[in-house]
Formats: sequence, structure tokens, C-alpha cells
Amino acid sequence: MEEPELVQRLGAYAAARMPQAQGVAVTEIARITGGASRQTYRFTLVWTEGGETRRRGLILRRDPADSLIDTERRVEFEAYRAFHGTEVPVPEMLWLEEGDTALGSPFFVAEEIAGFQAGTGPLWTTPYLDSLPALGRRKWTILGQIARADPAALGLAAVLPATQADSVWLRELDHWEGVLDADETEPLPVIRAAVRWLRANPPPPAQKVAVVHGDYRTGNFLYDTEGQIHGVLDWEMCHLGDPLEDLGWSFNPVWSFGRGHPGGLLPRDEAIAAWEAASGLTAAPEALKWWELFACVKGQAIWVSSAKTWLDGANRDPILVYPAWALIDAQDRAALKVMGHL
Amino acid sequence: MTPAVSQVLADLAGRVARNAAPNIPAAERAGELGLSALLLGLAAEMWDGAAEILARENADLRALLGAGAKVWDEDSRRRWLHALAEGRDESLRLSALQSANGELKVALIALHAELERRDDPAAKALESEVWRALVAASDRRRLSGSPV
Repeated sequence: MEEPELVQRLGAYAAARMPQAQGVAVTEIARITGGASRQTYRFTLVWTEGGETRRRGLILRRDPADSLIDTERRVEFEAYRAFHGTEVPVPEMLWLEEGDTALGSPFFVAEEIAGFQAGTGPLWTTPYLDSLPALGRRKWTILGQIARADPAALGLAAVLPATQADSVWLRELDHWEGVLDADETEPLPVIRAAVRWLRANPPPPAQKVAVVHGDYRTGNFLYDTEGQIHGVLDWEMCHLGDPLEDLGWSFNPVWSFGRGHPGGLLPRDEAIAAWEAASGLTAAPEALKWWELFACVKGQAIWVSSAKTWLDGANRDPILVYPAWALIDAQDRAALKVMGHL
Repeated sequence: MTPAVSQVLADLAGRVARNAAPNIPAAERAGELGLSALLLGLAAEMWDGAAEILARENADLRALLGAGAKVWDEDSRRRWLHALAEGRDESLRLSALQSANGELKVALIALHAELERRDDPAAKALESEVWRALVAASDRRRLSGSPV
């Protein structure tokens, strides 16, 4: 869909959702590049209400023809909505559309939290460098708060598939090994060895069945120069599971950005301490090692899916090539490191 | 290198040409060209050494499979590994090297799993060799900007 048509149809959709408003129009729309699982646009909605002109910065997240991560947008929408207004900062969700009629594919609209950074590029330069330890403590504190949250009280137990504390590891491993089986475009000896190890050495049962963000890493939240986080983003892989899964994913060495610390932010022991203090849970080393290696398997499954999606031809976005080229070997190296071979 | 560099470069050529049109929104053009530049940089780094990396890796894999053929008890598996170990890269085209590499890695995965299952010293020694080869292969493929 060309941009003028998108502007017109989005404006008509918003007008239908705002019966109290007149002259609803979409302005200043711009695609935000970088997302491989959803097409993301920033725009300003302008309308008149009670004789007064109003403006609001909004975000449109629309499914592309073939996304990197196959998820229902309702999961992402409901996860954001569940945490809005809690200690976990997230943008407000406005509208979810699961049909194709309005914009040609499912989408949701959310408030824009403006004025902060999300990408990792600026983090390693001034004026952000001095705030990295504070940002790290905040990052793992919020992750602990997500782990501490009660899925039932948030309403997410009714939306996300149920799971059991003693078998959640198997469900997750089966799922991501299945993705590898379906999508790998070349054999992966390191990751297949990791899968065998994971199956042979199951982790202890989860301390609780918690909300798992699913992609909690540096780069998936909005931050400022003071080390504060203003919005946790990219909830499309949210599910119920072992809270150590998120901690392990945040420690995946590919997210260290070559800076030697988890997330490129904070020494490992300090990150664990912040998470434990906020979650009220413990990160037993052997259990955490299992989930860190699992994170390598899950990461590799996503990167090979990215290559497969590009090769299938339905979506030739160059963002799909980047992880395939830049991260598959790095993810192998991460797995070798977690297994003690590197 | 999957997708193949040649395929990606062909796609990027079309993408760059399309972004030369004046009616492309500035933010979209900046995003597409920025990503394209990033991939061109990766291609430039990978391209020169790609054939050598694959050829060396294939030689290492054949040596491991040859050693594996001597320790695996099952006849059909021994013959399979032996046949692969006796092979050679007849063509230096990346597509041919990559295809052979895939075939060899399938056998390596099977051999690795068999070695893990066994406790005898010969199997454990060869398993250590497999890990060393996997690390060496990863070292050769490592890009300058790799986070690990």
C-alpha cells in the first residue's frame, strides 16, 4: 500500500473510532526502519473536538507480508495493555484491528512516547556513556518487576497459553527446535549440539510461571541520558513461562555489543543482583546456564528464520539479511562460550 | 553466508536504483539505503575470504569424518563417513563449496551425537577434536564487528 493511501485509510479508521471528533486527519507519517517483524510508522493525529484543535503523536504497528517472528498481534497488544499504568513502563495502546479490511493487514495503534532513544547506536557515545551502569540497573530491575508480576492479576493468564512450571522448558525447547527444523537453510552443528545438551540436562522447575517478555534486550526499550527507561517495547514474543528465560535472553552474548558486559551495560553479578532484588526470585547458576544456552538456540532459530523468509521471496526487506549474515556465526560463538568451549 | 552474497547484491542493486527515484519518502530512503550500505560492508568483508574459509572448513570436516569412520561400529555409517571423507572440492564456486559444506555438516552432526553417546577413550578424544574444529571454523568465519 502506497503512503498516500495508507494516510487516507488510517485517517478514516481513526475517525470511525472517534465519534466525538471532527476533521480527523493523519499527518507527518514516517516509517521507522529496523523492525523485522512489524512495519512501524510514527504519525500525528489531528482532530477538532469541542471547538478545539488537538494533536497526538501515535505509532502504527502493521503486519508485513511475511514477518520475522510469527505471532498474533493480540498477544503483543494485550501485553502492552496489561502493563500500562504499572511500574513497568509501556506506551498506552489505543486500537487493535485483527482483520485485513481497514489497512490491508492486521495492525494496532499506540501512543508515541517521544523524545527518547531506542536504538543501541547512541548508547556507546556521550552523553549516554556515563549513564550506562544506571541504565543497566534500571533495565534488570524492570525485568525483575515483569517476573514478579502476577499474570492472572494482569489479565494475561486469560490471553496467553497456560503452561506448567515443571515442563515449560520442554515446551519452549520443542518450539524453537521445531523452528530450526523447519527453517534452517544450512546444517548447524554447534546449535544442534546445544539442543542435545539442553535435552540431556533439564533445568529445575520454574520458581513460578511468570510473564516472559520474550525479547528483553538492550535496544528494545526507550531510554534517556540519565539512565531512565520510559517504555519497554517489542512484546510480540510475550508468553507465560520461566522468568529465568528472560534473564537468560538478556545475557545472550550477542546482546553484549562487544562490550564485555551483559547488554553492554552492567557486570553480570550486578545485573543478577538487580533482577533478584526486584523479582524476589533467585537465579541459580545451573538453571540460569540452561536458559542462557536456550537463548542461543532461540536466537539462532530466529536468525535462520530470517534467512529463510528472505530466500522464500515474499519479503525481501534487507533487514532480514542482516541477522543471517551478522549474527549466525556470532550466535554459534555465543553457544560455544556458554558451553565452555570458547 | 546464507542468503548467498550474489543473490543479495542483485537485490540491493534493484533497491538502490528504486531509491534513486525522487518520490521516495526521505525517511524510507534513508532507512533502506542505510541498511543496504550495512550489507554491502558485510559483503565486502566476507567476499574475499569466502572460498578459502569454505575450502579449509571442508578439508577439516573430511578429516574428522575420516577419523569418525574408524571409530563408528555400524557398517553403513562407516561407509557413509568414509565416502564423504574421500571426497574433494572439484569446483571452487562458492555455491559448490557451500553445497559440499552442508553435506559434510549433516554427517558431522550425526558423528558428534554418536561420540557424545559413547564413553570409550577413542570416542572422547575425537569428540574433543570435533569441538576444536567447530571453534576453529567459527574463528575463521568471525566478522570484525562480531559481538562475540
